[in-house]
Amino acid sequence: MKSEGSYAIEARGLTKRYGKLLAVDSIDFDIEGGEIFGFLGPNGAGKTTTVMMLTTFLEPAAGTIRVHGYDLSRESLKARALMGIVPEESNIYTELAAEDNLLFAGKIYRMPRKARKQRARELLGMFGLSDKARVKAQEFSKGMRRRLTVAMALMHEPKLLFLDEPISGLDVQSARYIKTLMRDLNASGVTIFLTTHQIEVANELCHRVAIINQGRIATIGTPDELKNNIESVQTVAVTFDAPEGAGIPSLAGLPGVNHEIKSGNGRRLYTDSPGDVIPAVVDFAREHKLRITSLNTLGPSLEDVFLKITGQEVGAITAPSKGEGKRKKGGMGR
Amino acid sequence: MKKMSFWSRTVGGLGQAWAIAAKDLRTYYFNPPMLMFGLIMPVLLFFSFSMRRGDLSREMGVMHLMSMALFFTSSTAGPVILILERRTRTLDRLMTAPLSISCLLFGKTLVGVVFALGVALAPLIVGLAVFHIEVQNPAFLGGAIILSAMSFSALGVWFGSFPARSVGTVMMPSTLLRWPLLFISGIFIPLRRLPVWARAVSYISPLTYAHDAVKHAVNGSGVQPIALDVLILPVFLMLFLFLAVRLYRRVRRLGY
Repeated sequence: MKSEGSYAIEARGLTKRYGKLLAVDSIDFDIEGGEIFGFLGPNGAGKTTTVMMLTTFLEPAAGTIRVHGYDLSRESLKARALMGIVPEESNIYTELAAEDNLLFAGKIYRMPRKARKQRARELLGMFGLSDKARVKAQEFSKGMRRRLTVAMALMHEPKLLFLDEPISGLDVQSARYIKTLMRDLNASGVTIFLTTHQIEVANELCHRVAIINQGRIATIGTPDELKNNIESVQTVAVTFDAPEGAGIPSLAGLPGVNHEIKSGNGRRLYTDSPGDVIPAVVDFAREHKLRITSLNTLGPSLEDVFLKITGQEVGAITAPSKGEGKRKKGGMGR
Repeated sequence: MKKMSFWSRTVGGLGQAWAIAAKDLRTYYFNPPMLMFGLIMPVLLFFSFSMRRGDLSREMGVMHLMSMALFFTSSTAGPVILILERRTRTLDRLMTAPLSISCLLFGKTLVGVVFALGVALAPLIVGLAVFHIEVQNPAFLGGAIILSAMSFSALGVWFGSFPARSVGTVMMPSTLLRWPLLFISGIFIPLRRLPVWARAVSYISPLTYAHDAVKHAVNGSGVQPIALDVLILPVFLMLFLFLAVRLYRRVRRLGY
């Protein structure tokens, strides 16, 4: 039965167990129609299990899911007809030509013959595969396979698109193409549920983001809201004019510096008091005869939010006593 | 209005099942496990066991080869295709599409049927054209072949529904199960010559009824009443599909 409201997904008390392991622990969230929603979490946090339940691949142990008002436990076929799914691994039929893959997807979604032929042609053109329409997908590069996978998911013009790591492992051009496509699809009204480890992609594209950790939704909100919630994490970014690998000493021992991340001639210094760190950095440069080319204070990034919420360390400590340049677990320098 | 909706759902579902079957036929026709277990094995078995029997008439030879080809080829398609698709994740695509599990598995059953018809018709055509064998009831033979292929193919789909990711994991035990069925189903040893216990066991094998139905069609006589053969084969089809659907639902509930 359809409920009122504009939600693309409504999840209530969603729970999943694998034997004794509680993979997803009674989570609730809503996604409004027309949103790009990012779903982040470390490995084993319950991210994949949640997506499998939302896409009807797995039955929840408890809880309910509605997709555009259709209850997945009773009206899953109607809900599935509204979904397009792009898994992390491209699941195309490599023995079939690109066009035949699309036509098959159209048949499975019960599209009339004329409509599916027209839509297949349109998608082949849209994804730059027109000249490869009759080529078997086994001859395709990874980027082309990815494009074909996305095209197959769009064949029946879904209202809700699940994308799992859509640009992982793609070259710059293909990645940019997929990101532009996501924006365009969203502008045309398609709701996008994006699962990714690439936090910058989520930051760049998503209207809202949820972070799942140990089976529970740890936080949910716009990227800015999440960043504002951990204002205590501040950084000073400094770059020196010195040849790369010139052996700039560690700044981790400067007053007020909690962590340091090295990146070429640059350093990102995590601190609670940027006011103390900046003069110390200037003194450090003077002492070591280094010229500062840039010096900025930065607020927390979405990556910082992620690391803080998932209980991992923010930044990597490069303490002089422990050896320069060593990156500890959780460090993701930029 | 309600009836129309049911009709359109059924027709739509059959269309989806056929789309799956047609895609699989194009995709897996020359797949090595299909050729090995579905084509080469029945032919080898026939030459190993049947050709050495001096009392084997041409009609009997054709019937044996047809029954074995139907049995092995149709019951091979399910495990090979389902497990390959599970491994390449293309099965996930079907499991999240707007089609029921029954419809998906019926489509996979149809693939086995078409493969088996292709393979089983070869000995029949050779028998008719080269050895001039006589078929008493050609129409019944056609029906018997289709019914048999459907129940064997559903058996293969049931095997393929176990949540394995390697073809060998399922093909080994399924072959171990299929071989004894071959020996107790009246192909190599006539049912009348089997000991009582073996004959009792033979009644749980769909191959017993399929082979008997083919005998009725070719010779005009069999061991069991013709009606029994015709009624039991669809029961096996439904039973195997029911078990396969249950397995899929279990996997969907528990995950794999």
